[in-house]
Amino acid sequence: MKIPDPLRVDFHLLDRQVVDPDGYLIGKVDDVEVSVGEDGVPVVTAIHIGQHALGNRIGGVIGRWLAATARRLHETGDPRPLRVPFELVHKVDSAVVLSVRHELMDPSALEIWLRDNVIGRIPGARDAG
Amino acid sequence: MKRVFAITLGILTAIGGFVDIGDLVANAVTGARFGMRLAWVVVVGVIGICVYAEMCGRVAAVSGRPVFDLVRERLGPRIGLTNLIGSYLATLFTLSAEIGGVAIAVELATSVHYLLWVPIAAFVVWVVIWRVKFEMMERIFGLAGLSLVVFVVALIQLAPPWGQLAGQAVTPVVPAGEDWATYGFFAVALFAAALTPYEVFFFSSGGVEERWTRKDLVVSRLNVFIGFPLGGLLSLGVMGTAATLFLPLGVRVESLDQVALPVAVALGKLGLAVVILGFFAATFGAALETGLSAGYTIAQYFGWQWGKLVRPREAARFHTVVLVSILIGVAMLLTTTDPIMITEYSLVFSAVALPLTYLPILIVANDRDYLGDQVNSRTANALGVTYLVIILVVAVAAVPLMIISGMGG
Repeated sequence: MKIPDPLRVDFHLLDRQVVDPDGYLIGKVDDVEVSVGEDGVPVVTAIHIGQHALGNRIGGVIGRWLAATARRLHETGDPRPLRVPFELVHKVDSAVVLSVRHELMDPSALEIWLRDNVIGRIPGARDAG
Repeated sequence: MKRVFAITLGILTAIGGFVDIGDLVANAVTGARFGMRLAWVVVVGVIGICVYAEMCGRVAAVSGRPVFDLVRERLGPRIGLTNLIGSYLATLFTLSAEIGGVAIAVELATSVHYLLWVPIAAFVVWVVIWRVKFEMMERIFGLAGLSLVVFVVALIQLAPPWGQLAGQAVTPVVPAGEDWATYGFFAVALFAAALTPYEVFFFSSGGVEERWTRKDLVVSRLNVFIGFPLGGLLSLGVMGTAATLFLPLGVRVESLDQVALPVAVALGKLGLAVVILGFFAATFGAALETGLSAGYTIAQYFGWQWGKLVRPREAARFHTVVLVSILIGVAMLLTTTDPIMITEYSLVFSAVALPLTYLPILIVANDRDYLGDQVNSRTANALGVTYLVIILVVAVAAVPLMIISGMGG
């Protein structure tokens, strides 16, 4: 793991782009989960990705609306943002690079819905530009 | 030899791609009303876009992060969101204006009313974004846009009183019969036309898509420092022809066919054909850039997969934003709002939205974590900060000037 020391949550983590080892864009660090260890030192345990987390951080009418649409779109009935344990973070530089490929994580509900119902239905959606 | 060819091609593309509907309208309108008395604004604007685009190109090449990614990272989610809304609206208005420009260019060639061409133009724009490879798209329309050189040729052919034009250019004062608010409003419009946010979203996202690295920095700088100023020269050609033909007659430019008229007067039918091709290429190319930029801004704010290098079904949210933006652009035109009017509003919007996209880039361009040894030099920072002040003044002045002058009356 190549992680800046000291790691500043607001500066190095929050709102940074999260990518997988191939550079696939997974999302932004929308929130950070921190727990306090036995020695009283807080450690980052996970990063959260998803409009629910972002909406809660923004707050107000727009924030609530963002979070509500993210919940509404969830098909599994488990409306939570994607939680990535911090052990899976490989590197923090101009992006947060994970050590696992994006296929192993839950994809965004909005992406799936639009892919299956809109974009995937247009001829040529499988050809790279 | 191959490298020289690639670089030349890049520069030519940058020249042809510089001019869009905003430049055509703003330069022709001001040329007809003020002669060359506002030419200095084009120069200030072109230096500004060079400073801004060079920083974005460098940030994209070294860190691999496009503009809007950094906007949210540096400004946080709230101010970033305000900025997103402003920038998206500015880009959307510009997209609508460019589609209108394409339709008017086809109307000039066919005499069929432009509103009938709007849906067709928009559909073709979308198909090109959907199917055509990024590099091919950029090259074809950039090179075809070079036909706007015809404005410079026409200006020489018109044999204008050069001394008088130069005299206007070096004495930038408000002429008799015009008030300072109108002068200021058109200065804002010209500045915004040269320094449009979408150009930078497109430039930096394109750099990331083409996987620029440090090695590409030289090419990126050549494109910016040679291509953009020569593109600005085309803008001045548009202004000069309008100043020569319309100013003495006191004619105001209110439509795109009037912008083309001086070329037709100077060079006849052939000139007119070339200028229509140029209008088409410039507005169509810019419609592609603004359509993609609408998607870039939103996708990069939220961190979604974006771009043309991946299959559309793998960037479904990005492609949905592009598609919906084009549809909104069409809807705006089909209300029969004059595309020239939409263009003028898009310029005001762009001027207001610019500072918040400029500032994060200036900050990141000084951050060694991102750029290592490629951070801003003292000169780059001196210019960068000077332009930050100019951009702020323009942004604050834009709306009051629009109201006082009644959109330039």
